[in-house]
Amino acid sequence: MQLKNLLKVSCLAIFCFFAVSVMAQNKVITGKVTDSHDGTSMPGVSVVAKGSTIGTNTGPDGSFKLSMPAGNNTLEVSFIGYAKQEVDITGKTNVHIALVGTATALSEVQIVSVGYGSQRRKDVTGAISSISAKDFNQGEATNPLLQLQGKVPGLVITNAGSDPTGTPTVRLRGQTSITGNQNPLVVLDGVLLDDPNQLRNIPPGDIASVDVLKDASAASIYGARGANGVLLVTTKKGREGGTSISYDGYAGVDKQSKYYDLLNRGQFLDAISKLPNVTVSTYDKGGNTDWQKAVTRTAYTNSHAVAISGGSKNFNYRGSVSYLNQQGVAINNDKNMLGLRFSAQQKALDNKLEINMGITYSRIKQNYNNINYDYVFNTPPTYPVYNADGSYYAYSLDYNGHNPVQHAALTLNNSYENLAILYATADYNIIPSLKIGVMGATNPDHTQNNKFNPAFPTEGNINNAKAESYDANSYKTNIHINYDKTFGKHSVSATGVYEYNDYFTNNFTAYGENYLVPENLNNNLQGGNPQKSAITSNKTEYKLISFLARVQYNYDSRFYATASIRRDGSNKFGANHEWGYFPAMDVAYRLKRDLLKDVEWIDDLKIRAGYGVTGNSDAIGPYSAIGLYGTGNTYYDPSDKTFPYKPSYQPSQNPNPDLKWEKRQGTNVGINFSLFNNRLSGDIDYYNDKTKDLLYLYHVPTPPFLYSTILANVGNLSNKGVDIGLTGQPIVGKDFNWTIGGNITFVKTRITKLSGTYNGFNLAVDQIPLGNALGRGLSSTPITYLKPGYAPFVFYLPHYTGVDANGNELFDGQTVDKYPGGIPPSHYIDPSPKFNYGITNTFNYGNWSFNFFLRGVYGQKAFNNTLLQFETVTRLPGNNTTRDALTNGVKSAPTASDRWLQGASYLRLDNAALGYTFNKIKGISSLRVYLATNNLFVITKYKGIDPEIANAISYTPDPSNVTPQNQSYIDNNPYPKTRSFVIGANFSLK
Amino acid sequence: MKKGINIKHIGAMLCLAMLTQACTKLDKNVYSNATENNFPKTPAQVTAVVASAYNAMTSIGNDGNTFVLNEVTTDEMVVPTRGNDWYDGGKWQSYWTHNIKVDDNTVNGAWGDISSGITKCNFVLNLLASQSGVSPATIAEVKVLRAYYFLKFIDMFGSVPLVTDYNTDPSKVKQATRADVYAFIESELTTNAPLLSTKGQSKDASTYGHLNQWGAYMILAKLYMNAQVYTGTPQWAKAAAAADKVIQSGQYSLQPIMLDNFAVVNDGSVENIFVVPFDNTYIKGFSIEMNTLNYVNNLTFGLTGQPYNGWCTPTAFFRSFTDQDARKKMWLIGQQYSSTGQPLVDVKTNLSVVLSPYVLQLSNPADTFRYAGARSIKYYPQAGTAGDMSNDGVIFRLSDAYLMKAEAEIRAGAPGDALTLVNAIRTRSGVPVWSASDLTLPNLLAERGREFAWEGWRRNDLIRFEVADGVKYYTGPRVPEKVQDAADNHTLILPIPSQQKISNPNLNQNPGY
Repeated sequence: MQLKNLLKVSCLAIFCFFAVSVMAQNKVITGKVTDSHDGTSMPGVSVVAKGSTIGTNTGPDGSFKLSMPAGNNTLEVSFIGYAKQEVDITGKTNVHIALVGTATALSEVQIVSVGYGSQRRKDVTGAISSISAKDFNQGEATNPLLQLQGKVPGLVITNAGSDPTGTPTVRLRGQTSITGNQNPLVVLDGVLLDDPNQLRNIPPGDIASVDVLKDASAASIYGARGANGVLLVTTKKGREGGTSISYDGYAGVDKQSKYYDLLNRGQFLDAISKLPNVTVSTYDKGGNTDWQKAVTRTAYTNSHAVAISGGSKNFNYRGSVSYLNQQGVAINNDKNMLGLRFSAQQKALDNKLEINMGITYSRIKQNYNNINYDYVFNTPPTYPVYNADGSYYAYSLDYNGHNPVQHAALTLNNSYENLAILYATADYNIIPSLKIGVMGATNPDHTQNNKFNPAFPTEGNINNAKAESYDANSYKTNIHINYDKTFGKHSVSATGVYEYNDYFTNNFTAYGENYLVPENLNNNLQGGNPQKSAITSNKTEYKLISFLARVQYNYDSRFYATASIRRDGSNKFGANHEWGYFPAMDVAYRLKRDLLKDVEWIDDLKIRAGYGVTGNSDAIGPYSAIGLYGTGNTYYDPSDKTFPYKPSYQPSQNPNPDLKWEKRQGTNVGINFSLFNNRLSGDIDYYNDKTKDLLYLYHVPTPPFLYSTILANVGNLSNKGVDIGLTGQPIVGKDFNWTIGGNITFVKTRITKLSGTYNGFNLAVDQIPLGNALGRGLSSTPITYLKPGYAPFVFYLPHYTGVDANGNELFDGQTVDKYPGGIPPSHYIDPSPKFNYGITNTFNYGNWSFNFFLRGVYGQKAFNNTLLQFETVTRLPGNNTTRDALTNGVKSAPTASDRWLQGASYLRLDNAALGYTFNKIKGISSLRVYLATNNLFVITKYKGIDPEIANAISYTPDPSNVTPQNQSYIDNNPYPKTRSFVIGANFSLK
Repeated sequence: MKKGINIKHIGAMLCLAMLTQACTKLDKNVYSNATENNFPKTPAQVTAVVASAYNAMTSIGNDGNTFVLNEVTTDEMVVPTRGNDWYDGGKWQSYWTHNIKVDDNTVNGAWGDISSGITKCNFVLNLLASQSGVSPATIAEVKVLRAYYFLKFIDMFGSVPLVTDYNTDPSKVKQATRADVYAFIESELTTNAPLLSTKGQSKDASTYGHLNQWGAYMILAKLYMNAQVYTGTPQWAKAAAAADKVIQSGQYSLQPIMLDNFAVVNDGSVENIFVVPFDNTYIKGFSIEMNTLNYVNNLTFGLTGQPYNGWCTPTAFFRSFTDQDARKKMWLIGQQYSSTGQPLVDVKTNLSVVLSPYVLQLSNPADTFRYAGARSIKYYPQAGTAGDMSNDGVIFRLSDAYLMKAEAEIRAGAPGDALTLVNAIRTRSGVPVWSASDLTLPNLLAERGREFAWEGWRRNDLIRFEVADGVKYYTGPRVPEKVQDAADNHTLILPIPSQQKISNPNLNQNPGY
């Protein structure tokens, strides 16, 4: 109790100077309430004269009119999910009130999706973070994931470079698999997306909120697909009231934020003139080119979205059209997206029947980046881009050196994707407490890739063209029963679901060479050399059938318990392991309703604990468990003149009938609190997860096995960590508000085991090489590994200690040739970050709002493969290099060592926005304009272009690909990061 | 009211129960593959599966792992580090200096290539045992092919697992001695060779790319030639007899121009006995020209991509060819020209591209070192391609039978027609005939070098001569920068790849590694 008082006093002391409240006969006051975040008007907001019962609610346009005692000069304005405000109205008859949302506040009535249902925030027992539209990142958030980046503790989203066609990688609570997909499951309005990347097809402006199921007990409701966590995405819906039309749009400009310090013309000529036996004039082709700038440009982006919504008592709808055109800073690289969405809800039969449906269609055209960075770094600055007549200056350096501008501009590499997501649900209340419903959904996704590589005169190559068509589709249905009943202080809620999913992929490719009319690109594939035409096709199918049951119980909103079990069957697995059970159990105790009932400064406090089991069924393809024959090499039979080249058939893999799910068992304890009249709130979670039965292509002896690898469940890994999210409102005033939020993510991942048995046979690896240093003469140099006892992707590198008098690099004090076999000793170095964090600040002053978001990673290392290849003076005179290469004294050829493993901690001003909301304009219910910027600065010691590099490349296990490659922490994609400036506006009409 | 709802309720539950009963079946539909249940059924399908036994040949009969380890370890091929190009963690230098590491990926790759041939044969033999109406010749051919793979296996790795049954318990697999595997190969070949077709491809095109009886006797001759290496006991007479069977078959004759055996279109060769068919479009994987030619030689041969400027021949080996030797045409040397006759200049360095015979260092960053070493165009580069040549890879040809027989006869102390056989080879290539006094073993080794340069047999030859004659042909010092191997001569056998030892803990590492 003493400690509690101490806490109370000290915290109050900190907060006392923030709180400002003022005092009040009959008068009429009018006004309007808007959301401080985006200026949209807020209907249904409670406006009460302080200390009285006199009050009203705002109308559909957010306006109100209240008659109140003249002596009372304070309004209390409140709305669920927003901080309560006291507004001084002394001398005023009209006020504008901007309410500030409370993202993580333990609000009484905020609704959280928990998968197959929802709960009030206060009743949630698992580790679930929620973020709503008002807290999304600002500026050029062209992918919904970028709106979330850095905002949710435990959810690490990495976006390497600013390629508009790139896909951010998402990791929830650490590494979860060795070979498998690690993207969290994405559930859009109750529809499980086939591919988490389909989220990028959803217009960011249509998303209302995202709930993140973080711990194994919460994610366990998704069973075999929950191991990577779950993102539950809820889109905006229509609501009862008049028709509303809104517009949201922006235009942005992007510039490359940093360049490598390559030699310019003068520096290059000067440097080579000092080399012996070099005739400088032979390297001077009369150009003065900064090749990094020659292949990039200032890029423009514009985005427009129009939505119409409305509804009556029994029917409501929302429809939207959105358009995005985003250029990449790389030439001939852009993305263009058109999205259409419509959702509707109909109630019937005395509100017993509720029908929901939604249609999403999007079309994305992408021109992929074709810049060959070897060409950019290899070509001296003395080469021109163009000849005097405007044609490309074409050349072939000794190896891998051509005009990168010409290549990028003339190569066709684009894709068109058409995705539709259709769903409908019908729910019927048989009795008030019992509801039964059905759901059906499908999401056909078609992508066509087009490729054309032209012939370049100086290279002697032959042009070739390709068209690739990929179809993915699924048919999903479920039948669900929900039961909700309160008996006195006991509340029980139960859910039962049967689910049936059938997934298909179907692809077709056609390829040809040697086209006479290159202008036809890949639109006349039959026009090439018929002998070289090649076609392929492939179709797959797998099924997933599930049963799940969940019971939620609470006593007096004080004690909570949730138990669930899911049984999943997938025919990807071995016949004896198709079905798996995924149980979970949570308990929670809301102290505010009990022991701490009378502690005024605590608004809510809840402690939670949970255990659950989830699986990862996406770690393997549909047919890994069974014995199959597929086409092998072609063989030659000259005796058959009509068909001399025949395909052989051979077993396509070592089948493993024992294949089963990767399982993640997780324990989570957490606390949610809200203090000082909700001025400080937060969530803290500790978790300890173990992933068992990791799939990996283990080496098996040949002979007797047919192939040298077999996919088997053998390894284990663990993830332990702490997620903390805090929100404070230091200043809540009549004109000025300040909200500050922060989150920090600690996670420690360790590979614990890489050995086990298959069919009684021992499978073991000492370590698994994963990433390679790439470049000329550097092949077959793995530098990152999976090794028991270490973090994934631990580096194993020689230790660079300097350079000797001759310019040879020293490793542990010796040159390479002093070591037996020329191999210096290597050391393990853990590159993984200590923590990731984000800090957001929002200020509101009258009609103005300003917010900025800082995002960072601490303790991370990255291997600068780009500099390893290019920062060496030995590249002169034929190729370009960096300025540091001239002065660092190293004259030996590139060697992979810890010299290139650089600190990559950073703090980035991820985004900042300044907005102004107009008070009253006739005919417009709200209007806000804003200026925003992304990546205004980044503080880092990293010497590459940007320290945020791809933290994983997921790939599908393929028995023919014996050595999986994963270039995590290895920076060899120099696609630049950009800095962007955006001007935007949103308004709505009623 | 209440009652009605309850009936609906029960009805809904019943429907649900029925649905769930019907929908728990996880049938597996396979669309793009064949399954063990429905394949193979027709004779043509069986033939397609049998053909897969040869698939491993496309990675043994090309410029792959096996080829590299049998060439770069010898006096006829070196891969120096040029600048940083071809450093690759020091592996190419390690082959040349015989400091091969146990975790070398090429060594593991070669093990995998060869053993995949063995296991495919085991799989096919297991399948054929369950089929009716299979001709004994088909089974014999797969067994002879497997014997070839085992010969490669013991030749490179010494004692290897002798797995001959597809259904072998993997935990029981141990190494057999080289002599035991030798005995198995000998018995398989002598039993099965007579069952094979006696027709060469000129008489029966369907034998092209397959092992016929004469291919089987070539394997047997190779086995006997190195019997002393494998078992300690030489078998010169048996070797001569096996080679003689091929010579006497009447199915083959010397191709008038030796290099025609390696032309882009070489399936008309009258000399080649066993080849691995390759084709730029249909059977890819033979890219030796890319590994050897200079970066700009694409302009010389009309290639559609830049070669990698790597493999070359050491100076001494190049010098072993006299100018009148037609076989010297396999080497590319001196100023290089474009296909239109323009002298080629390196755009990067502005140096004239003049290939030099001198390879005096194993590593040199100088720009001029990029041109060190003569390059091979024995398999003539195919215009309009870059890699994936259409030249079929030659495993056995008649001249090898000639020279094997001659050598075996000399070693057995009964020279017989040895001089005639050797001179037939020399005459064809325009070099003076030898007298009986020229017919020494060192000369014969040099002649084999010139005749079979870069055909993948050099390591096998050098080790045989070293073991039989006590001269350090394989383990001795060489220019550039190779010193005498360790006295224990462990380098005569390659290491068991560490990956294989991890996969199968029963395997013992070869001595000295």
